[in-house]
Amino acid sequence: MKSIGPFSLTLLALIASQGSSAAQVAVPGFTFVQSVGGIDEYTLDANGLQVLVKPDHSAPVASFNVTYHVGSRNEVTGTTGSTHLLEHLMFKGSEHFNDPAGNSIKQYLGARGASFNATTSYDRTNYFATLGAKDLEGYVAIEADRMRNLWLHDADKQAEMTVVRNEYERGKNDPNSLLHEDVQATAFMAYPYHHPVIGWKSDIEKVSVQELRAFYDTYYWPNNATVTVVGDIEAAAALNLVKRYYGGFPKSPHPIPEVITEEPVQTGPRRVIDNKPGKVGSVLILYKVPGTLDADIPALDVLGDVLYSGKNSRLYRALIDKNLALRVGAGVENLRAASLFELSASLSPGVTHDAVEKVMLEELEKIKTDGVTADEVLQVVRQHRAAQAYGRDGKASVVAQLSEWIGIGDWTQYIRYEDKLAKVTPAEVQRVAKAYLDHRQSTTGWYVPEAAP
Amino acid sequence: MSIFNFRYISRSAGVVVLALAGVQLHAADMAKHVVRATIAGIDVIEYPTDIKDVVTIVGSLPAGDTFAADNIAVATLTGTLLDKGTATMDKFAIAGQLDRVGAKLGFSVGQEVLSIQARSLKADLPLVLKIMADELRHPAFTAEEFDKAKIAIEGGLQQQAQSTDSRAAEAFNRAIFPEGHPNRPASLDEWHTALGSATLAQVKAFHEKFYGPSHMVLVVVGDLDIAKINTELKKDFAGWSGGAPYRRASKPAALGAPVDQTVNLAGKTSVSVFVGQATGLRFRDPDSLALRAGAAVLGSGFTSRLLGRVRDKEGLTYSIAAGISDDTFDDGDWRIYASFAPTLLDKGLAATQRELHLWWQDGISADELAARKTDMIGAYQVSLATTGGIAGTLLRTVQRGLPLTWMDQYPKSVDALTLDQVNGAIKRYVDPKKLVIIKSGSVIAAVPPK
Repeated sequence: MKSIGPFSLTLLALIASQGSSAAQVAVPGFTFVQSVGGIDEYTLDANGLQVLVKPDHSAPVASFNVTYHVGSRNEVTGTTGSTHLLEHLMFKGSEHFNDPAGNSIKQYLGARGASFNATTSYDRTNYFATLGAKDLEGYVAIEADRMRNLWLHDADKQAEMTVVRNEYERGKNDPNSLLHEDVQATAFMAYPYHHPVIGWKSDIEKVSVQELRAFYDTYYWPNNATVTVVGDIEAAAALNLVKRYYGGFPKSPHPIPEVITEEPVQTGPRRVIDNKPGKVGSVLILYKVPGTLDADIPALDVLGDVLYSGKNSRLYRALIDKNLALRVGAGVENLRAASLFELSASLSPGVTHDAVEKVMLEELEKIKTDGVTADEVLQVVRQHRAAQAYGRDGKASVVAQLSEWIGIGDWTQYIRYEDKLAKVTPAEVQRVAKAYLDHRQSTTGWYVPEAAP
Repeated sequence: MSIFNFRYISRSAGVVVLALAGVQLHAADMAKHVVRATIAGIDVIEYPTDIKDVVTIVGSLPAGDTFAADNIAVATLTGTLLDKGTATMDKFAIAGQLDRVGAKLGFSVGQEVLSIQARSLKADLPLVLKIMADELRHPAFTAEEFDKAKIAIEGGLQQQAQSTDSRAAEAFNRAIFPEGHPNRPASLDEWHTALGSATLAQVKAFHEKFYGPSHMVLVVVGDLDIAKINTELKKDFAGWSGGAPYRRASKPAALGAPVDQTVNLAGKTSVSVFVGQATGLRFRDPDSLALRAGAAVLGSGFTSRLLGRVRDKEGLTYSIAAGISDDTFDDGDWRIYASFAPTLLDKGLAATQRELHLWWQDGISADELAARKTDMIGAYQVSLATTGGIAGTLLRTVQRGLPLTWMDQYPKSVDALTLDQVNGAIKRYVDPKKLVIIKSGSVIAAVPPK
């Protein structure tokens, strides 16, 4: 989830506390699966499309999101970045909706003041818009058409390749972005989390439109996607819309490929040093931890917040308050197959990398040895609870958080995760710190600025 | 990774939006539902919505960098020290109280104002208001925290120094706004010098002179018990006095000779570019909305000319946008922001200028204006989707010197725009012969495109 910023659990369970819920409805062609926290899940019988529905009539607006269960982890050497490049090309038109016809997605949504975008991450790709509920059907029609009827023209790919390459170049302007990429590539040697979501530059430049077509035809099918509708529309009406526009597509004619690669066990600490012109150095330490659905992740999340979540957190006191670091970070980078626990710091002027890394590790060691207090854990849990309430503030943020959990593999954690977090004990936090934040499982990177030539 | 990412020009810059998701929609009569009162000298604006438990607060008072006449660093130092302890509590005790309930409270300093941002659950609002008042009124200003703040700000300056976006923006704003104009930022060198010489006495004097209720605005939106909030505000801010009025530009920024400047930074793979000019217009000036609509056709969103042609058709950039900036308090500017690979810089800049010239020369079409109007009005409805969106809109309306009824008038104002007004504004406020062009990145190292 690195691609869209730190994975925040701030919006969890908001539906549950909102009171109103999507009552289960019987719409021919759908099978009801479950209802959790006011969100109802259905399957479109014709093709296996997963559909989540949450009516919310607080305003005449709807957010619609389709999440494809494909991300950069599904790529291989030579075609890295394909998921993301394809995401861009999804805006170039489809059989029934395109610029020449005057009804492309950009033209339709652009003329209605809709807020829309698409994002790609390691585990999923999503396309979404928030717009007036009266305009929803037109958007669903376009979104559905590009699921199976996308134009993929070489001329469009050539023009968009340089757009994406500039996106890549913009990212590399930031030495910390480069450091994270290098450290993660060193931490994961075999699993495809090794390569950045945006891909390697040479692959971005050289991938062919035929390879992108093959990628599209492998992964863009209804049985590899989840549609989410939150907004001013009744559940039955939402389901009928989905059926009308997605119901004509068949299931994929082949099984959706699984990633079979497993990351070998790391046998010792790894280190990376990046030199680049600049002024402010940084330290980044990554530890491999289980995938986000693992039972130990809530305790690791609490550990991250105990280390850094405000002025009373341990790394604030040890690094920022002592003017050793300008910024610090701690927490889990949530990934489906295997996550990363991350510690990071930007160095204050005149402070050495050694000094900051030493303090980071000392603070970690204190937790392994002495544990954390019940008060620290309680404070983290209360902060998450408040953040849940803040997450009710906007439909777009609801569908975005749901999409993250869909990518992780279980949307119901959007509701259920908070209870797991509330059950974390100080002993569990100490246990997971000892179990996972082992020096031999670490990959440490330094960005060491060098003077401009 | 996302298909579309504009960081330096807000799509809805200057566009206020009506309440949507999770909030009560009053559509055409939003102003009627605002509760506004002067409480303890503060202009308090409250807007209840039907969201449960959540309260968002934003506010400001005129105490930004432009007021720090003797030492440019003093306003930022003062604002930075607000949450580092008060006369009765140290920073850890304050943070502990807020953290225990998950409340957020922060301050930031800009060119014109000290900004206040807070969020809490309904039950915890009295605590947040009490701490906010204590931090604004009784900061401890200890020597220890002062020294720490100087080091932290110096580090922040070093980070800015290596950012192509920051360096280009700094050079652009200094090129278009003259000495003495409130929108003109200090240079990084000026900041370094000022920071080194700033004293704690200057900070205390700045606080004494500029902090007070007389020009402070506080906007509270969400699940509100208005009577209770007002009681708390009266109690927390009782007896506070002072504050200074906004400092306005003595005269609008004028166009000068064209500028073409490069800020070279080594080791950068993308060049940040600004192209634009001062407009001499404040947001509330009559031609402002017409120019905004025109700029939106040029560079706001997927259907804009710059994105549709320079990015989509020619593939020269990931990020390109145009809009109006810096016109809330004083006369502002129009600007294009773009990023280009060093090898595509010349080509990208030429394409950008080509579109700019066509836009200026021929104006926009009736169809473009019609589509843009529906977009602006639709966005107005969609982007006020949160309590934060409503609160920000209310605050900006007041900061712009507009009545709150303006928010209800906005869609009609957009709808009433004529092609002559828009194209006339483009011609009046844009002069292609006097462009300010700033590039920041590894420009010298660029090799010609193959």
